[in-house]
Parts: sequence; structure tokens; C-alpha cells
Amino acid sequence: MSMDFDAIVVGSGITGGWAAKELTEKGLKVLMIERGRMIEHGTDYVTETKAPWEMEFRGEGDAELYAREYPVQRLNRHFTEFTQNHFVNDKDNPYAVAEGTQFNWWRSYQMGGRSLTWGRQSYRWSDYDFGANKADGYGTDWPIRYADVAPWYDHVEDFIGVSGAAEGLPSLPDGKFLPPMALNVVEQHVRQAIAQKWPDRCLTVGRTANLTAPKEGRAPCQYRSICARGCSYGAYFSTQSSTLPAAKKTGRLTVITDSLVEAVDYDPVRKKASGVRVLNVKTGARTRYGARLVFLNASAFNSVHILLRSRSDAFPNGLANSSGVLGTHIMDHASTLSTMAIMPGFDDRTSFGNRPTGVVIPRFRNLDRKDGDFTRGYSYQGGALQSGWTAAKRSAGIGKDFKAATRKVGPWRMVFVGFAESLPRATNRLTLDPVKLDPQGLPMLNIHFAHGDNERRALTDAKKEAAAMMEAAGGHVIMGFDEPGIGGSAIHEMGGARMGHDPQSSVLNRWSQAHDVPNLFVTDGAQMSSSACQNPSLTYMALTARACDHAVTLMKEGTL
Amino acid sequence: MAESQIGDAATAAASPVDRRQVVGGAAILGVLVGLPLYAWQQVRVGAEGGASDSEKLLLARLSDLVIPTTDTPGAVAVGVPAFVELALLHGLDETAPPVSGPVRMAGYRGGFPVLEQVARDLNREGAGDFLSLRHDRQHAVLAAYDADAFGGERQDHPWKKLKALILTGYYTSEVGASRELQYELVPGRWEPDLPLPPNNRSWSSDWTAVDFG
Repeated sequence: MSMDFDAIVVGSGITGGWAAKELTEKGLKVLMIERGRMIEHGTDYVTETKAPWEMEFRGEGDAELYAREYPVQRLNRHFTEFTQNHFVNDKDNPYAVAEGTQFNWWRSYQMGGRSLTWGRQSYRWSDYDFGANKADGYGTDWPIRYADVAPWYDHVEDFIGVSGAAEGLPSLPDGKFLPPMALNVVEQHVRQAIAQKWPDRCLTVGRTANLTAPKEGRAPCQYRSICARGCSYGAYFSTQSSTLPAAKKTGRLTVITDSLVEAVDYDPVRKKASGVRVLNVKTGARTRYGARLVFLNASAFNSVHILLRSRSDAFPNGLANSSGVLGTHIMDHASTLSTMAIMPGFDDRTSFGNRPTGVVIPRFRNLDRKDGDFTRGYSYQGGALQSGWTAAKRSAGIGKDFKAATRKVGPWRMVFVGFAESLPRATNRLTLDPVKLDPQGLPMLNIHFAHGDNERRALTDAKKEAAAMMEAAGGHVIMGFDEPGIGGSAIHEMGGARMGHDPQSSVLNRWSQAHDVPNLFVTDGAQMSSSACQNPSLTYMALTARACDHAVTLMKEGTL
Repeated sequence: MAESQIGDAATAAASPVDRRQVVGGAAILGVLVGLPLYAWQQVRVGAEGGASDSEKLLLARLSDLVIPTTDTPGAVAVGVPAFVELALLHGLDETAPPVSGPVRMAGYRGGFPVLEQVARDLNREGAGDFLSLRHDRQHAVLAAYDADAFGGERQDHPWKKLKALILTGYYTSEVGASRELQYELVPGRWEPDLPLPPNNRSWSSDWTAVDFG
């Protein structure tokens, strides 16, 4: 096979874009392969400036179509008539779940992947997180610690632009932030009330990959908060706004779209990956591409799916799976609306603009002492807002008085959504379905996932503490839940090709490099050995940049 | 006067003999109820199980009873009935039962059973054909029905669903979103703490507020 490229990057989302940027900037000739369609920055954001009255279903979308073709995607709050073209069609992209289980797998198969639709929350992990598996024995010990990743967090934040406030919290390390977006009047009040009663708890504005200052050809945030439609200002980090132009600028990037990687080829003589087999999903044509280096960035479950499909005599159970743990220990976060409260006393105040981030209360449980009846922790995201016209749907009344009341800004309300750490469990795993085939004729991915008792105990505590904090700030709690949403609902699915010290019990080493196949790297969510309780994307990016640096170092040394 | 015209049309429509002749087509209907014609031209007349003429008339009355013309145009003037008809046909806001298969069955009417139930309820509450009642009586009957629906425990009350569609139709129309309320696609700045003016109008472009109500 000819070595057409120095490196192949499978996937163009958050980490695929990073791999392409880093590898091309280090001089490699890179092929980036995307299974979905091309979406050009700006010109292809076709709904970006539409008003509801310009949409056939006023932004709500065609419920009948959604029930037939988007039964899972439609359950995502960010899936609307404005954004439906940035999510997969479930009918055309089926997956199986184990009997008696459910999993909401929210996906975006397109240039940019979920970098177009992500929540943009960007948090560093701390050593409470990287040390968690070793401390309580769940999962396998991470072979890295904060000090290994910290310079790469710097590197990533510098490039993507993360706005946030430095708070000096051990559980949520500060980064290199752009100026923070301000708390609104109610959030500011609640922050103070919480700090007064619980000095170890901090409400701060969400650290978000939205620019509060111009950056390398990207304009600052316009406070529309319609990011998932695509942002032609380039004000939030996406592949299109950031990493793709950087990679293209090198002149060393080749991109192909509508191209599904069926498998990674393995050369048993050289004991290395030799390239990938690609199916053009539009024409049905099959092509092989060779490279000295393969990076899998297809999203956690899809990267595992590719490895499981990549069976050979040398690896009959999937490539890089001599350990047998490939596909196991998948995670999400257990999340639910912990509390919603009416916040009186601010009815003469309001705000202007739509801030594209909420607030966060970082983990405070089980840090330096065990103060919860569960292991690890949870964090909250949420915010305070004033009701708009949709509140009228829940209100009695008709006629001109009703119309006049609906015109006015409604009362302040505040919500905290709890995110509990998902423990890595061998029973939560991905397999190839033994029977079902997907439309390409490949074995379908089968997802077996369930939250456990630890997550439930954490969310029970999260509900209780959320209510206590709202009440301490003068809020009237109107509802709260402690039962986690269906797996996948946090859209933080991860794991399946975990990092670890031991090739017998992990897929990847400390460099996101397959123990079994030295020129194969998996740097998306699949590499995660634990889930922490904060959003993982920033860590995926940092680990991707770190892995690229290591891979190129090895290539230059001649060991790859 | 528009009001008496509507009343007359409704009275005529109540007679089964005259019904077809009187409310024969959308254009005639438009004239009869004093609507701008463009509002009706958006309606997908009768195709694929759409609204019957009497249902169109009922939708128009209910829409204006919920959101009448005040210092801004009301629901009918901005074409809300056409949207509600489309919305029912496609089962928006969970008005239609879940589809069981890939093909729409013959006679499938999407969410129209919701409207049919509301019509039956209102005829019962008004002790006669709701559309033939005087306007003040229609208002009183609907207000009582509305209070009953929102005062009760029933989450899936058909009137709650229909009213939700009327509200969506109005507040996502250009007039409802940008004249009755305020609409700004590109705020351009974030001001976290401002005094709220007494005659405030909420923002239809506050997407988070719209999402969470």
C-alpha cells in the first residue's frame, strides 16, 4: 500500500479538528475523513439569521417528521427547526441498545461534528478527578495527572478562547481566560448568599468557548445565544471557526466528506496500522488510504465502533483489543433538574442580550473529606432568567387582559441542573450487535448502559443541597428531581478505549496511544478512564494536542 | 361592522341545511368573518385531512377570543388559524398520538381530534352551537372552560394543547414577536442589570426564556 499521507484523522469534530491542526502545523501531510456532509463556515449556516415567522413550523419543527425520523434527536433541547440540519437522522443512523436499557445518543454527522452544536462549557479537570480511580478503586488508575495536562490546557485555551472568571478553586482549576461574561442581578445575589453560608461553595459564570474579545479573525460574541445554528461571526469555538482554517493555512490538509471509515487496517508484519478502509456513503465506492499514523476522533462511541469492526487474525476481537476491555467502562453524567425556584425581590430589574452561557457551581462534595454518602461528586449548571411568552401556555386566561399580561416580562426564576460523576463500570459497554446490521451492511453498535446507585445517591444529595442554596438566597422552590435522565442525556458519553498503565487492562497508554498498535491514537472521549463531573471537551482537546506532540516526536525520533 | 358579520355567519353556519352554501369556500368565509384574505390564503384547505369549513370558523373565533386585536393586531389578523391548522395536521405540541409506522394511515387527522374535542366541550358548555352564541356569551363560555382546564389536574387537557398552539402561532408571527413583544436577533451586547420599565415588553428573541417558559 502506498503511504499517501503522513497521518489520517478520522472525524472532523472537536478533537478531529484539533488533531488536523496540530499535525499539519508540525509539518505532516494529513487526510481528514468526515462521514457526513460538508458544511462551509458561514455560507452553509442556512437558518442562522431566520426569524421564527420565516420558518414553516415557526422554529418548533415538524413533529410528525421528527416522530418518524428523529425520535431520539428530537429529545435534545437544542434540536429545533433551526438546528435540525446539524443533527443526524435517526432512521438512517440506527443503533441497538441492550434489552431493558435505553440510551439517547445525540449525534452530528457533518463537517465540524458536534463542535457546531456543543454546549461550549470548557472546564479543566483537577487531580481530584485524575486521581479518583486510584483513590476509590473504581475503574483503572489514570496514567496521567493534572501537571501532565496543564500546559496543554493552556495551549488549547489560548487558541480557542475561553471566557471565564478565575476563582482559585482546587476542584476546578483556573485557566487562561478571556474576560468573563457578567452574572445577572439574581445570580450575583445567589452567589453572595451561597458564599456567606457555605464558604466552600462558589457560584461562578460558566466558562465558555465564546469570545469576549476578538481573536485571530474571529469576532466577539454578539449575545444572540443561537450558537447551534452556526455562527458566521466565528464567535464560538468550532472546527469551522478555528481549527479547520488553521490546518488549511498550512497547505498540508486534505479533507474528504461523506466518507465513512469502515475499519482501520493492521499490518501484522510491521505490527502497525497501515491505513483505513473508506466507504463513500453517497456513491457506495470503497477506497483505501494509507498513512504512517492514524488518529481516531470519530466521537467516543464511533471510535470504539470502528475498532470493534477492525477485526483481523491478529486482533479477532477488535483492533488494539488484546486486553479485551475495548468497549467497556463507558460513561455519561447522571443529570437532572435538581431544583427550580421563583426568586422574588428583583421584579424591577432586567437584562439585555442573550448570554450564551449559564452559571456553574463546581463540585464541593467528597474533596478533602468525605461528606456525602456516595463516592466522588456532582456539580451544577443553571442560571436565573425571566419568563417570556411561553409561560402563557401554562396560564389561565383569554382576551385583552391575558394578552396584556403576556406582553410583560415574567418573574425571575432560577434553575440548578445537577451533573453527577458516572462511575466506570465493566458492565456498561459497547459491543457489535450479533444480529443487526446498519444501512451500510456493517454490524450495528449495541449500547448497554445504566446509571448506578452511586449516581442516584449523588443526585439525591444534589437535589437537597440545591434547594437549600436557593432557599438561603430567598428563593421559593417549586420543583426538583433526583432521578437521572436516560443515559446519554448529558451528551457526555465517553470511555470504551480507556487509558491505563497496564496493557492487560487498558487500551491506550498515557499518550492516548494504543498499547497494541504504536501508530494508532484515540484522542476523543473514548480515551477517558473516568468521567469527573464537569464537561469533558476541553480535556479531550488538551489530550489531543498532547498526543499529537508525542506522535510527531516519536516520528522524528524514527520510532514510529 | 365586523362583529355582527361574524355573528350572522355563525348563526347561518349553525343550520345544517344552509351550512355548505354559506360557508362554501375559504374566500367566502374570509369575507364573511371580515378577515384579511391573505390570512386564509395560507391555509391548506381540506387537503390531507385539514380543517373543515366549520372547524376553520371555530379556529378563527377561538384564536381571536384568546388574542384579540388591541393596540396591536390580534390572532386572526396575523394568520394564527392557518398556523394552528398546519400545527394540528403535523401534531405539534404533542397534539397527535405517536405515529406507529412509516406511512400515514388513511383518515389520519393528526391533532385534529383535539379540536374536535374542544368543539364538543364548548357546544356542551354553551348548551348549543358555540359559534352561534353572541360574542359576549362566547367569551364567557370560553373563559369558564379555560379556567376549568387550567384549574384542574389534567395535563393533557385538549384546550391546553389548542391554546398553546394559538399562542405559538401568535407570538412567533412577525407582529406578535416584534410588535406585540420585542425581537432583536443581534443584541450585540450583554447588559446584566438594568431597571425594568413599567411598560415593559418581553423579548421573543430571549430563546432561553422561550425554551423554559
